[in-house]
Amino acid sequence: MEESNENLCVGIDLGTSRSSISASNGERYVIDSYVGWPVDMVARKLVKKQVLVGREALDNRPMLELRRPLERGIIKEGSQKDEEAVQEILRHLIALVGLKQKSKNRPKVRAVIGVPAEAFRVSKQRLRGVMEGIADSVMLVSEPFAVAYGMEALLHALVIDIGAGTADFCVMQGRYPTEEDQRTLPNAGDSIDDQLSKVVAERYPDAQFTIHMIRAWKEKWSYVGQPQGRVMITTPVKGKATELDITDELRVACESILPPLTETMLDLLSKVTPDYQENVRNNVILAGGTSLIAGLPEAVQKYLGELGGGRATIVKDPVFAGSDGGLAIARDASPSDWEKLSLV
Amino acid sequence: MARVEQTKLQVLRGAVQDNFDILHGIKTRPTTETPRPLRHWLWGLLLIAGMVYLGTPASMVSIGKASAPSAPAPVVASVRAASEPDVMVSRPQPLNREIFPLSLKRIVIDPGHGGVQTGAVAESGLTEKEVTLDVALRLRRLLTDAPFEVLLTRDSDKTLALEKRVEFANSNSADLFISIHVNWMEPRTIRGPETFFVGPTDDPLTMKLVSMENRDSKHSFVDLRHALDKIYIDARRNESRTLAKTIQGQLYGFLKQGNAALENRGVKTAPFAVLMGTQMPAILVEVSCLSNSEEVKLLTKGEYREKIALALLDGIRSYANNINGLQRKGT
Repeated sequence: MEESNENLCVGIDLGTSRSSISASNGERYVIDSYVGWPVDMVARKLVKKQVLVGREALDNRPMLELRRPLERGIIKEGSQKDEEAVQEILRHLIALVGLKQKSKNRPKVRAVIGVPAEAFRVSKQRLRGVMEGIADSVMLVSEPFAVAYGMEALLHALVIDIGAGTADFCVMQGRYPTEEDQRTLPNAGDSIDDQLSKVVAERYPDAQFTIHMIRAWKEKWSYVGQPQGRVMITTPVKGKATELDITDELRVACESILPPLTETMLDLLSKVTPDYQENVRNNVILAGGTSLIAGLPEAVQKYLGELGGGRATIVKDPVFAGSDGGLAIARDASPSDWEKLSLV
Repeated sequence: MARVEQTKLQVLRGAVQDNFDILHGIKTRPTTETPRPLRHWLWGLLLIAGMVYLGTPASMVSIGKASAPSAPAPVVASVRAASEPDVMVSRPQPLNREIFPLSLKRIVIDPGHGGVQTGAVAESGLTEKEVTLDVALRLRRLLTDAPFEVLLTRDSDKTLALEKRVEFANSNSADLFISIHVNWMEPRTIRGPETFFVGPTDDPLTMKLVSMENRDSKHSFVDLRHALDKIYIDARRNESRTLAKTIQGQLYGFLKQGNAALENRGVKTAPFAVLMGTQMPAILVEVSCLSNSEEVKLLTKGEYREKIALALLDGIRSYANNINGLQRKGT
């Protein structure tokens, strides 16, 4: 509601694999959720930085103590280093939208951060703690709720936000979603990576690859249903670059998330008042990086057909849908709301 | 359009309130509080009454407050002493709870593990320490309207030694101690809650569980043996059994609804360190099994964790009503 040079509203989608930020000054960025510290003096001299964040960290990983500090969409438990890494990611995001931490005329930062739908209270508490010194006021909302708010899909809608760490579900019924309206599944992008890694290793026992290569293959060629063509990748086999066909393995891995996804969808749909179940079935919205798997909306829609028909659509901008929604919430919240949620 | 704006306003209000509740719910309490002399006096009285009832020589009873004319417990004890031969009772006898002026005023909830001690970890990565704290925070919120005070041994993700938990409950003169845990059992088909109160065990599964949960205890074997010997004549053991039965009954009854495969693993005795050191009726409840994939699926739902907290609430209420009812009957 209140917008001035004194305040900067930001929406942040803190993701296990990628994090995005949308700010009220019009800036929008997405980064890889990686942080790395040079392992020794030589590495520090080469990278010329104390800490590297995002793609830069990933690209220089042999010289770094690399962290992917978010797990299942929240800060990994029990590690101070991971907490520091999340802080670095958040600082980096805030700096990207043009804010310097120690600037004299720094506006007050009002941040809305998306967290998994069923994040534990203790995880939310930790995240608030990490935000101290980075933002002035913080509101934590569930990721699918942020997407729904941004799209104004507040009534009779089911939002499924499929990221790397979690798939989050939220039924919107014209009110702030309760625990009964939301679900979080660990079957998301990372579980596809694990599965793909396993099936490729089974078929090609001598093939050499890393989890980063697996992720890159998935991001480029992932699909469910019928393939558009053969998926051929090049990777070392006993040290020799070799072309391998992973078409079937990729489908098996990507389709592994479908049973839990549809089961959870049915579970939530069955809890909607019968009068409105059809409305909700006709308004299933897919968001998040993993929703970009080719053929996924069609597969979900096919399943909805078995339940009596429905429509699944993918948001226009899956990468920024969460942070844009967060920004919309941040803008609409009143100054007194922000006062209540102040970190100071 | 106006309707959309109105709905937005409404959901936004909900989001702010939810955040505010989180902030409010995690407000830290002081770790130690001023001891309440009256409560110490009551517990002292209880102990003295127990000793007299079990046939402790009168010379021992005379030390302390037993001579106070208004104290009800020695009166009951003296009736018993007069009607039976003046000999030491060779075996501990069950204590009649109606002789104690007990009432429930302060409960300590102990979310198991925390910090670097993750406890059991499910294949999905869900940790015991997360679940126990979440359930405990929910239980504290649900108990807000109850007529007794609720204290948590930890209300954030911090490492806390078993001895510190015991010390916290004792120094705060708690009337009840409830330690919340989540099981890990082989075979992984096992699922269902179980509740423990202090005592020996020869069940190999329980022994394994005890050694896991006691791993962080700094007690020596001799300390534990002494404590175990002591509890046979400890009045609080009977109360712990009653509390365990009540909680287990409510927990199983509540959770089996819509979850037919759930097994009632019952009430058991085991020498858990937190149960042996505490000076009040104390139980350790394993609310679910992280080794069972179906249970893990349920535990990731806030709805199910709320259900567990509600079941514990009902168990505590039922036990409290029983105690307070007895107290009313006695007055």
